[in-house]
Amino acid sequence: MADYDLSKTIIPFLDRHLAFPLLAHLAETGIFPENEVQIAQYELASGTNMFDYAASLFRQIYSNQEVPKEFDEKRQNVVSMHETLQQEAQAVLDVIENLDVAQSLRQDKNQNLHYLKEHYNLTLEQITALYNFGKFQYSYGNYSGAADYLYHFRVLSTDADLNLSAHWGKLACDILAGKWDTALEELNTLRETIDSRTPSSLVPSGNGSQAVDPALNQLHSRTWLVHWSLFVYFNHPQGRALLLETFLSPTYLNTIQTSCPWILRYLAAAAVISTPTPSSTNSIPLSSRVKNAVRDVVKVIQLEGSQYFDPVTEFLMQLHVEFDFEAAQKALRKAEKVVSDDFFLGEFREEFLESARCLVSEAYCRIHQRIDIGDLSERLNLPRDEGEKWIVNLIRETRMGQDAKIDLEKNLIQISRPPQPIYQSVIEKTRGLAIRTQALGAAVARPGIMSTNANTTTTVS
Amino acid sequence: MSRFFRQAGDSDSDTDSSEDELMSSGDEAPPPKTSTAKPAMSRFLRTAGSDSSDTSSSEEEESDDDSDAPKVTKKSPFLKSDSEDEESDGDDESRAGVRIMSAQEKRLAEMEATGKAMDNALKINDWVAISNEFDKLARMIQRQQNMSEPVPPFYLKTIMTLETSVTNTLAKEKEAKKKMNATNAKALTAMKQKVRKTAKEYEQDITKYQADPDGFEREYAAATAKEITAAPGAKASTTVSADTGDDGFQAVGKHGKTMLLTTEGIFKSLQVVQEARGKKNTDRAEQIRILEQLLKVAVTSYQRIRVLLALVSSRFDYNSSTANYMPIDLWLSAQREVDQLVAIVASDSSYSIQEITEDYDELVERSPGTEKDGIVRVRGSIISFIDRLDDEFTRSLQNIDPHGTEYVERLKDEKVLYCTICRAQAFYEANKQDEPLGRVVMRRLEHIYSKPDPVVLALENAADASDIKPALTLASNGSTSELIHGLCVYLYKSGHSLFRTRAMLSHIYHYAFHNDFHTARDMLLMSHLQESIHSADVATQILYNRTVVQLGLCAFRLGLIKESQAMLQDIFTTQRVKELLAQGVHQQRFQALTPEQEKAEKQRQLPFHMHINTELLEAAFLVSSMLVEIPLLASIDSEELKRKAISKPFRRLLDFADRQIFTGPPESTRDHIMQASKALQDGEWEKCRDLVQSIKIWSLMPEAASVKEMLARRIQEQGLRTYLFTYASHYITLSLSLLSRTFDLPLRTVTSIVSKMVWNEELSASLDQSGGVIVFRRIEVSRQQQIALMIAEKINTIADQNEKNMEHKMGGAANWGDRNDGKQGEKRGEQMQERRGKREGTRGARGGARGRGGRFAYGLGNQMARRT
Repeated sequence: MADYDLSKTIIPFLDRHLAFPLLAHLAETGIFPENEVQIAQYELASGTNMFDYAASLFRQIYSNQEVPKEFDEKRQNVVSMHETLQQEAQAVLDVIENLDVAQSLRQDKNQNLHYLKEHYNLTLEQITALYNFGKFQYSYGNYSGAADYLYHFRVLSTDADLNLSAHWGKLACDILAGKWDTALEELNTLRETIDSRTPSSLVPSGNGSQAVDPALNQLHSRTWLVHWSLFVYFNHPQGRALLLETFLSPTYLNTIQTSCPWILRYLAAAAVISTPTPSSTNSIPLSSRVKNAVRDVVKVIQLEGSQYFDPVTEFLMQLHVEFDFEAAQKALRKAEKVVSDDFFLGEFREEFLESARCLVSEAYCRIHQRIDIGDLSERLNLPRDEGEKWIVNLIRETRMGQDAKIDLEKNLIQISRPPQPIYQSVIEKTRGLAIRTQALGAAVARPGIMSTNANTTTTVS
Repeated sequence: MSRFFRQAGDSDSDTDSSEDELMSSGDEAPPPKTSTAKPAMSRFLRTAGSDSSDTSSSEEEESDDDSDAPKVTKKSPFLKSDSEDEESDGDDESRAGVRIMSAQEKRLAEMEATGKAMDNALKINDWVAISNEFDKLARMIQRQQNMSEPVPPFYLKTIMTLETSVTNTLAKEKEAKKKMNATNAKALTAMKQKVRKTAKEYEQDITKYQADPDGFEREYAAATAKEITAAPGAKASTTVSADTGDDGFQAVGKHGKTMLLTTEGIFKSLQVVQEARGKKNTDRAEQIRILEQLLKVAVTSYQRIRVLLALVSSRFDYNSSTANYMPIDLWLSAQREVDQLVAIVASDSSYSIQEITEDYDELVERSPGTEKDGIVRVRGSIISFIDRLDDEFTRSLQNIDPHGTEYVERLKDEKVLYCTICRAQAFYEANKQDEPLGRVVMRRLEHIYSKPDPVVLALENAADASDIKPALTLASNGSTSELIHGLCVYLYKSGHSLFRTRAMLSHIYHYAFHNDFHTARDMLLMSHLQESIHSADVATQILYNRTVVQLGLCAFRLGLIKESQAMLQDIFTTQRVKELLAQGVHQQRFQALTPEQEKAEKQRQLPFHMHINTELLEAAFLVSSMLVEIPLLASIDSEELKRKAISKPFRRLLDFADRQIFTGPPESTRDHIMQASKALQDGEWEKCRDLVQSIKIWSLMPEAASVKEMLARRIQEQGLRTYLFTYASHYITLSLSLLSRTFDLPLRTVTSIVSKMVWNEELSASLDQSGGVIVFRRIEVSRQQQIALMIAEKINTIADQNEKNMEHKMGGAANWGDRNDGKQGEKRGEQMQERRGKREGTRGARGGARGRGGRFAYGLGNQMARRT
């Protein structure tokens, strides 16, 4: 199954620290030889300030060799650097944590800066110390501490570049610390910042200083954001729906199509997972985008079929484009394995399967009038008895309406779906009209529009 | 002028006619006073007796160079035997004179020609012609006088002869009575007066001439000779000293007659040539020949560069009219010379050719040592030569009949042209001159982007054999796609927006041509060219159209029928396919094009070998239209809906075919497709397949066999769909296995197709798995219900329209009534696109046509999105 493993494609788009969990997962699943994964982990760690971890990895890999001396030297450096940075940062923290100061701080950053300078002689450079210390803490793995410092820095600093960098840092910290709620918040603000198209570079620290095309830059940062957000979306309870919302919005869909088509797997999986199943009795109303997610995703998959292709997308293709249930069944079997091996999707294997079965049976029932239960169970990758149980459940949950009846004598499901009466479809068609017209009326009545209208008429004349 | 004196002076004057054709026409001029002239001349020439041998040897020398030299050598003995030494000396001078003053020479020749014509007319008593010729001659003389040159004795002589013949004829006329027609008689009297008037004007000269013709002629000769001897005389001395270093014989031989064409005098003669350039009476062929000679004597790189620059531009000057193309041999030599030029500059970095340089003295030899920074900068532009070469090549292809062998022959020259371009590219790469490099790379790309791999390979092999190679070659890149990719990437980075656009289009074209549909399509959509193409220049628009059409063909070859149909649709609805692809001029029905427009249109045409076969294109379009349209036609039953056609051109043809009372066996491609469509409608998919496959034009498609197979399959599938739509109302149940047998499709495919139709609610039916049948449900819709549905739809359209208008007024930016509904947002995006498309449509006729061609890309996007 190594063919379908995406870790290699995804890691280049992640921060060094974010890649650790992925590698750890790989070590667990055992798709790749353990030794190779360990070497990769070591190399990853040796680029950070996490010397103890790196050293222990080193010992694991080269058990008969001495740990290089440079680790100790580096450790000395780091400790001393830590001291100095902490002192610098502490000075600022002391001021900020003062209650008076906290109260007199306002929304306006410039004013705050002015105020701090006047009363406490705090300059921008000093505030930057917060950023440096936060970054430093991050580099040796103290994520929650780093998150705090970066937060404070962001509140005070006016430097757009560093602010953005701090943003990314904070997101990474939150992800690694497992605080999904804050991470989600962070993600959303970051997304807004990126979408607002600031001309300055948006790529996180390191390679941000090149003078490249802003549009390209934006694409880059969106790609990064897409990858980082996978952590959040597949861990936050509401994540899947949010993922669909985000990734199916035109800008991000474009990003995915242009620079990272492999994300389609997650998109497809999320779409499958979030289709309501009989067992999931969530009462949260879904937005229309999520409801139609499968349909939209199928369109995208079809378009990008030449670029990216794996069992998960194949399953949807076979089911909703080709209507080849046999091939869909095969693809589903493969997809199951892929999903369970995937770092992000692994936990959702059951849900994925359940929803996928639901999708299959729904499509099956819509097309057929009489269905052989045995056949259907086979299509669902279920043994006959279980299949029957499952189908009964399905019918009981009234997902299929009252039109489905089981004929046990012939082992059949009878579906009688009376055609929709004409008046019903007329009602459907005209349903939204009143609201739309109201909205239109309201818009016309809004004062701002009259002036713009006047403007356009003058320019025309 | 010296020519003239000989003309009048003696009969042997034609010995030097080797100079040029024009002169020889004067050979037959009557020689009245030869005998008297001879003694006088020989007397005068005795002193210079030794010259004669020089001359003859130099004549022989010349024979290496001049094509018509044999004539010269043959005649020279005769010349010597006459002891006309002076004559031959004059000959030398005249030769030199010719070299310098070819304008004058030409005038004289013209005069002689006129005189001859007059003589001829005299013989047949055609006074109208005489009158005309005389007027012409008078004008020429007038010009001669304006340039303050003496009146040639030839003219005086002519006047005298005319006077006598006029009086003679008038006398005869009186006796013969009414022999001449009215116009001739009128011309005669007019002539009488004219001659009398002119004779009066030149009375003095004539009397002088009559008194002593020889004396007059000598005087004239002296007057003209003076001018000539002045310049060469001075030069001769320097040449001798310079030439002593060379082979002795040659030096002596040369300096007599080709004095000007020496190493020393190169810059002077260059200047003379350059000054004459562009003047009205300059003989261009003569100039080229002079420059060729100069090139032979040029020694240093600097001289060669200078001469080559002048030579190539004068070759390009040769044909001034824009309508015609450059003669091929000239083009070939120009190409070789550009090669030489590039070779010189590339091999020696201390010389550089630039468009803008500091002023320098044109007459001084320069070398790297004399320059400040060791680099000799010469004014000139290789890139413009390359551009011109390429343009001339295209023009010649445009003008040559594409079906003749000449065209093929000419096409072979593309190889050398391509080599030259590659060489220039290598040169600019080495020099790091980005601007011309971009141009060269673009030229190179344009030569290969539309060609199949073997042709590119041949071109590249030729280029590879050259000693100077560019960085990007086929050998270094491995495949043509890589090569083109490399060239395009360079152009993308070059920052020149026009090149970027053109490179992008060529790149897409190449991908489409190599059946890489998805990459090509993604690139086209991502480039957003369809939004800006209307403001591009016409050539780029043509390229865009070509690219789009090629993409459509590519989709067709790959069996992506819907995509292909959507892409080709736009260009076919315009009904000006040929014009839009620059493969022929459109016949305007209502207004005629102005000549300028027509000319511009003609210049825009692509050479034949680059054409995309329009018949093939049409076949692809119509077949894909058939496959899309026929099932659709079958699926809709109300008359109202039937009017909405996807492919209007196809629908039109189909309607037309329907109205025919008798249908004969199919002849044209269209006939085939129309009959195939009818067969498909009737469910006879086999007949349809046979008809479509028997279209001959498919053989032009690279993978004809696989395409035909693909078509057969599509026809089966669409036939099944059509059948189901058409006959659904007649069945309650229909067995899948029967369908599978009838349409020769696997059961699985049939099930899949039927499932798809059920799922998309195209067919109100469902499958009965246990029985293996389709169960149809019929819904009877009453008239009232139908109308209710219709009105609901219409109201929806109105609401949409309102929203659209509203949004238009708001400028799109303000999101009024945004209900945070994702679907709404999407819809808006679509609306915007549609609106943009509409706006394009309202542009002027031409823009509109292009616009439609461009909008298809939207159509494509929508099509993709709509597909389920």
